[in-house]
Amino acid sequence: MVLSKNSGGHRGMQESMYSVIALVFILVACVELCDAAAAIDVYRLIQYDMSGSAYGSRFAVLNHHAAALHFPPGADLSRAVLIIPLRELNITFVREYINQKKPLGGLLFLLPDIFSFENGGNKQVHEKEKLKNLLAELEQLLIHANIPYPVYFAFENDEIDTVLADIKKNDAIGQPATATTGGYKLVIPTPEPKKVASPTITNIQGWLSGLKVDGDTNQLPTIAIVASYDTFGAAPALSVGSDSNGSGVVALLEIARLFSLLYSNPKTRGRYNLLFGLTSGGPYNYNGTQKWLRSFDQRLRESIDYAICLNSIGSWDNELWIHVSKPPENAYIKQIFEGFSNVAEELHIKVGLKHKKINISNPRVAWEHEQFSRLRVTAATLSEISTAPELLQGTGGLFDSRQFVNETAITRGVKLVAESLARHIYGHQGKNVQIFADGGSLAVNPAYIQSWLDLLSQTPRVAPFLSKNDPFVMALQKELADHTDEVNMQHEVLEGVFTFYDSTSARLNIYQVASVTFDLLLLLVLGSYLIVLFSFLVITTRGLDDLISLFRRPPSRKVKTA
Amino acid sequence: MTMFHFFNCAILTFGPHAVYYSATPLSEYDTLGTSVKAALVYLGTALVKLVCLATFLKVSENDGFDPYQELLKAVIGFIDVAGLYFALTQLTHRNISQNHKFQAVGLGWAFADSVLHRLAPLWVGARGLEFTWDFILQGLEANANLVLSISLAALGSLMWLRKNKPKTLIPIIYACAGIVATMPSITSYLRRGLGWHFPKVVGFELFTSLSMAFISWQLFSACQRPSS
Repeated sequence: MVLSKNSGGHRGMQESMYSVIALVFILVACVELCDAAAAIDVYRLIQYDMSGSAYGSRFAVLNHHAAALHFPPGADLSRAVLIIPLRELNITFVREYINQKKPLGGLLFLLPDIFSFENGGNKQVHEKEKLKNLLAELEQLLIHANIPYPVYFAFENDEIDTVLADIKKNDAIGQPATATTGGYKLVIPTPEPKKVASPTITNIQGWLSGLKVDGDTNQLPTIAIVASYDTFGAAPALSVGSDSNGSGVVALLEIARLFSLLYSNPKTRGRYNLLFGLTSGGPYNYNGTQKWLRSFDQRLRESIDYAICLNSIGSWDNELWIHVSKPPENAYIKQIFEGFSNVAEELHIKVGLKHKKINISNPRVAWEHEQFSRLRVTAATLSEISTAPELLQGTGGLFDSRQFVNETAITRGVKLVAESLARHIYGHQGKNVQIFADGGSLAVNPAYIQSWLDLLSQTPRVAPFLSKNDPFVMALQKELADHTDEVNMQHEVLEGVFTFYDSTSARLNIYQVASVTFDLLLLLVLGSYLIVLFSFLVITTRGLDDLISLFRRPPSRKVKTA
Repeated sequence: MTMFHFFNCAILTFGPHAVYYSATPLSEYDTLGTSVKAALVYLGTALVKLVCLATFLKVSENDGFDPYQELLKAVIGFIDVAGLYFALTQLTHRNISQNHKFQAVGLGWAFADSVLHRLAPLWVGARGLEFTWDFILQGLEANANLVLSISLAALGSLMWLRKNKPKTLIPIIYACAGIVATMPSITSYLRRGLGWHFPKVVGFELFTSLSMAFISWQLFSACQRPSS
C-alpha cells in the first residue's frame, strides 16, 4: 500500500517535471529575431516562366551581410547583399553582373520616394525624368534575365539611409563585412516561393441598352469601349500602372458614367447599345480580350459597329494617336478618324492615325484592337504612345507611378472620346455641338477622375495575384453596375505560356551584428577580470600564501615513507 | 555567435557572485545555506515592494521625474532595509562569525537581485542577432550592486548585531547606511531627472559602490578593534 502511494507521488512529481521541462523548451524556442536595428517593407522581383524558360529572381530567402557599391575590388560578394540606391545606379555595372552571372548573395534596390504613393505627393525632384528612364531601363533588364539570387526593391527612408551611410563608411575604411568583422546583416524570413496554381483573369463587362423603337425587330448596333486593367512589372507588389493602364480604366468609368446619365432618360437614349469592357490579361498578348470576344455569340459580335480601346492616355500634352489594323482607306476607319479629328480640332488636340498590319501567324498582339480585328470587328486604340510596345513593355511597371500622370490629360481624353461617340450616336457628325460642355450637368467630373486615379495608383494589379473575389475587382464590378444596365463577370484561367510564382512582398530585418572576434575578445577580458577578482579576494581575505598554495601541488608522499 | 554573447554577459552578471563565494573563506565555512535563505528573504521583500508600489503609485504618462512619486518609491525602498534586517537578525544561522554572516547575507541578497532583475532580459535580448552594449552595462551594474549589497549588509550588521560601538561612529554608520539604502532612488533621479545616459549611470554606480565599500570596510574594522 505504502509502495503504491509512493509510486503515485513519484509519478505526480515526474509529471510536474515533464511540464517544467516542456515549459523550458517553449521558452527556449520562443526567442525570435525581434529587436532589429531597422525593419522595412521590401518587394520582390517577379519570378515567372515563359514558354519553359525561367525569368526573374529565383529565390526569396535572404540571410547575408550587407555591402554597398564601391566595395574593395576582389571582395567576395557571394555571401553579401549589394544595396544600390537608384540615384547611384550604374546600369552597365548591373548589366555586366547579371549577364556574366557573377555570384552575388542578393540585390536590394532603393527607390526614391517619388515612386511611392504615400510619400510621393507633389515633391519637386529635379531629374525626375532621368530617374524614370533609368528605372524603366533597369526594369526591362531585370524582367528578361534569369537571376539565381533574391532581388528586392524598397523605398528610401531615414532608417535605411543611415544604415547605408554606415556601411559605406566601413567600406571606405577597407573592411568588407564578413562573418568575422561585424557590420550589418539583412534577414528576410520568408518561405520558398511556390507556383501560383491556375491564375485567373477576370473580364468585367457592362451593357447599356439603347432605345428600341416599337416595331423595330432588328438588333440595335453596338459600340464597344474597352480598356485592360491589369499590369505587369518588375515588382508585382508595386505594379500600380497609373498610366498603363490606370488612365484607360478611369476614362472608361467616366465615359460610362456620362452615358448612363444620358441613357437614363428615354428621351435622350441613343439608338446604339453601349458595351463597356474591363479586360484582364493585357500584358500577355491581350489574352483576356481574346477569351472575352470568343465568348460572345455570333449575333452580338456582328452587331458591333466598332470598338474603341483605351490604352495609356494619362501623360500626353497635345498629341494622341489612333492605332488601327485595317488600312486607313477603309470607309469605317475613315469615318471614325474624321469624327475624332473634328472633335479634336475643337479641343486643340492633335490626333494622328497609325496603321499596323496584323500578322495572324505571329502570336504577338501589341494593341488591344488587334484582338477585335482578328475576329473581323472594326476597332481602334486611342493612345499617347506612338509605336507599338514590345512584349512586357509599357505594361505599368515600377516607374509608372501617380506622380507622372496628369488628370487634365485624362479629362481631355474623356471629352474627346465622349463627344466623338455622342456625335456618332446621335447623328451630329460635323456639327459643332457640345454635348459634354464644361459647367453643364453632363460635364466631365475631374474629382471623379482624380479619386479613381488615386485608388488605381495604390492598387497593384498583376493578374495572377488578383483572385476571383479580390476587393478591387469587386469594386470595379460595382462601379460599372452603377452606370450600366447589366454587368457580367467572366472568369478564365491564364493558361499557356506564362507561369508565375508567389512571395511578392516581405519584411526585411536589418541587424547590427558584432563579429566573432569581438565576442572572443570580450570572453578574454571577462575571464581575466574574474581571475583578477578571485586573486584579489583570496589575497585580502585569506592572505597571499593561500593563493600560492592553491597552485602548489600537495607535498609528495615520499617524505612520509622515509 | 549570439549564444556566445549571452554566455559572456551571463558570466559578467553572475560570475562575480560565484567567485566571491569561492574565493573568500565563505566556502570553507559552508555558508551556502545562509545565502540561500537571504535570497529567499529578498524574494519575499520584492513581492511586498511590488504590492506596495502597485497600490500606492500612480502610472505616469511621460517618462519624466516626478519628485513626489520618487519620494514614495524611496520610502517603499526602505522595505528593502527591513528585509535585510529580517535576514540578518531573525533568521537562524549556523554558528558563523559575524564577519562571515553579513558577507553571506549580502551575497545571497545580491545574487537574488541579479537573477530577478537581469536574467530574463538577458535571456530574451542577448540571444538575438542585434548587438547592443546594454547587456554588458547591465552586467557591470550587477557587479556594482553586489558591492553595494555587501556594504549595506555590513552596515546593517554593525547597526543591529554589534552591541558595543564607539559613540562617535554611530551617526556616520547610520548616514552611510541611509546613502546606500537610497542608492536606487539616486540612480533613477540621475537617469530620468538629469537625463544621464546608461554608461554614465553605470560608471557612477561603480564609483559610488567602491567608495561606499571602502568606507564601510573602514567603519567595520574600526568597530572590530576592542573598545577598551
